[in-house]
Amino acid sequence: MQFVENILASGVLLTTPILLAAIGGLINRLGGIVNIGLEGKMLLGAIIAIIVSANTNSWLLGLLAAGFASSLAGFFFSVLITRLNANMIIVGFGLNIFIAGLVGFYLKWFHGSSGTLKIENTVLLPKVSLPFIHDLPLIGTLFSNKDPLTWISWIIAFSMPWIIFKTRLGMRIRCAGSDENVARSIGLNVNNLRDFSSSIAGFFAGLAGAHLSIGMLGLFSMGLISGRGFIALAAFYFGRNMPIRTSLVCLIFGILDSMQIRLQGLGLPSEPVQAIPWITVIGILSFMGWSEQRKSQELK
Amino acid sequence: MNLSKSIFQDFLPIIISFFVGALVLLFVGENPLEIYSLMLSEGFGSTRRIAATLSSATPLIFTAVATAICFRSGVFNIGIEGAFVLGGLAGAFVGFSIEINNSFFHILFCLLAGILVGGFWLYLPSWLRANWKVDEVVTTLMLNFIAVAIATGLVNGPLLAKGAGNNMTPMIHESAELLKLIPPSTLHSGFLIGIFVLILYGYFCSNSLFGFENKMVGLNEIFSKAVGINTKKIIITSMLLSGAIGGLGGSCHALGVLHRFVEGFSPGYGWTGMAIALISRNSALGIFIGSILFGALASAGTTIQLFSDIPLDLVDVLQGTVMLLATITVFNLRKNNAVR
Repeated sequence: MQFVENILASGVLLTTPILLAAIGGLINRLGGIVNIGLEGKMLLGAIIAIIVSANTNSWLLGLLAAGFASSLAGFFFSVLITRLNANMIIVGFGLNIFIAGLVGFYLKWFHGSSGTLKIENTVLLPKVSLPFIHDLPLIGTLFSNKDPLTWISWIIAFSMPWIIFKTRLGMRIRCAGSDENVARSIGLNVNNLRDFSSSIAGFFAGLAGAHLSIGMLGLFSMGLISGRGFIALAAFYFGRNMPIRTSLVCLIFGILDSMQIRLQGLGLPSEPVQAIPWITVIGILSFMGWSEQRKSQELK
Repeated sequence: MNLSKSIFQDFLPIIISFFVGALVLLFVGENPLEIYSLMLSEGFGSTRRIAATLSSATPLIFTAVATAICFRSGVFNIGIEGAFVLGGLAGAFVGFSIEINNSFFHILFCLLAGILVGGFWLYLPSWLRANWKVDEVVTTLMLNFIAVAIATGLVNGPLLAKGAGNNMTPMIHESAELLKLIPPSTLHSGFLIGIFVLILYGYFCSNSLFGFENKMVGLNEIFSKAVGINTKKIIITSMLLSGAIGGLGGSCHALGVLHRFVEGFSPGYGWTGMAIALISRNSALGIFIGSILFGALASAGTTIQLFSDIPLDLVDVLQGTVMLLATITVFNLRKNNAVR
């Protein structure tokens, strides 16, 4: 029981970065851009957060700087797609390589380190424990003693349906994503909406990276993100662009992540567990393709 | 006028990327001209350096051709990385597990294993794309991660070399090693195989029926279907060929350079190949030039890091910029390539 409880507790923490990145990627996807560059933006957010947090002694400034830097990267990424007609998948990969190159260069040149950075005085995210819930078994471990970013990410995740289905901005973004020409004909500026959705995606990806560096580990390493940006991508593909479903998928992926870390610790092969998210996404897309196919055949 | 604009647009990403690299170097107080001329001489300065450049270019030729075949037919296959890794593992496996005295046949079997595994690996997404219209971008992307997980799991488990610390298979038998062309350097006969594949690709593009149909499907899938081309067959064949060439590249890399399979076998050859296929707009000559250019960057980058403390990551900055800008259109020209 203790074992399961530990896995669940760290699973909730490990969900946070995936969830944040997936929310951003989801907004971007609804706006019509598949964001392959989440991974790079998370890396950027992770390193900016740790540098700013150490130099200003404030985790909040660290978070904001990470979000801002990554949203700038997201905006830049988006402009190439919307104004210069670049292919979004290629630009996403390019951004990942570009950012990894810059960050690696910075680490080696200024810190003489080949991959990790640990700075004294880094202020980590505080842990908030809840007064009554804290002592309850299971529920206490799941909900209490979590950092504020985890709380914020879940609050945003659950208000997402309202934001994208009920607010004017959310509907406009979805309109720009689902039919460009319709959006233009009713007077929306599709390019601006897409750039905005990419900036938001960047902001959340930056927070996601910051959560890994100053929320969990207290250090930065080049392998910190290790595919979590792509897991987030898998999550909203799996969740079929529905926010609540995507969040629950993120939770499953987070728990799987904590399981594979446990397995590694026990010296067991963790690769089969690591591959589960990828396999499930291929499965779900195949299923969707198959049922679409069947529907169109029935219509004939 | 259009031609000069088109050439300018083709070289623009490379020019800008060197400019961005120069900015990075200026920022840290280095003279970019000095570093770039050093890179030029480290890339092409002597026979030994040219051999090193060609050696680094070898895997890129394979991955770029593999990507280009699919991009021509409008199939956005980004799964070459996975085919390359598994092809390398298959080649190394046949190389160390089977003993054949005849070197020619041993190498042949190893390469065949790479080809088969690479082609087989992309069969599923190609089938899903052709029959159920499942987005190949996502499936091939995810398959890369699965490939790496499989390879890592195998080299840490059943295929782990006895006595070796971690993450590597046993060495292949000597009979499976590809011939070294200029001995101290790692340039091996896999380079010649790569050139052969590239020439075949060039021939296939301009002189074969399949090459024509492949391009037509890329330009307009619905029209091609309407005029009676079996688009499903073209899509599946393109992806199988692409995976097979990626797998062949992987097995050549295993037999020629590393002589075994190790974790982290490919430092992103698939992605670099994709960048090359894009900037060369799928032309065979362009792929040749692009592979040499990126090969020179990789080999010169390594020595630059040793001699002048400039981190190798500069090469990633250059490559990333090329990819960021590879598909932009500055002038509104009609372009004939499928992936835009």
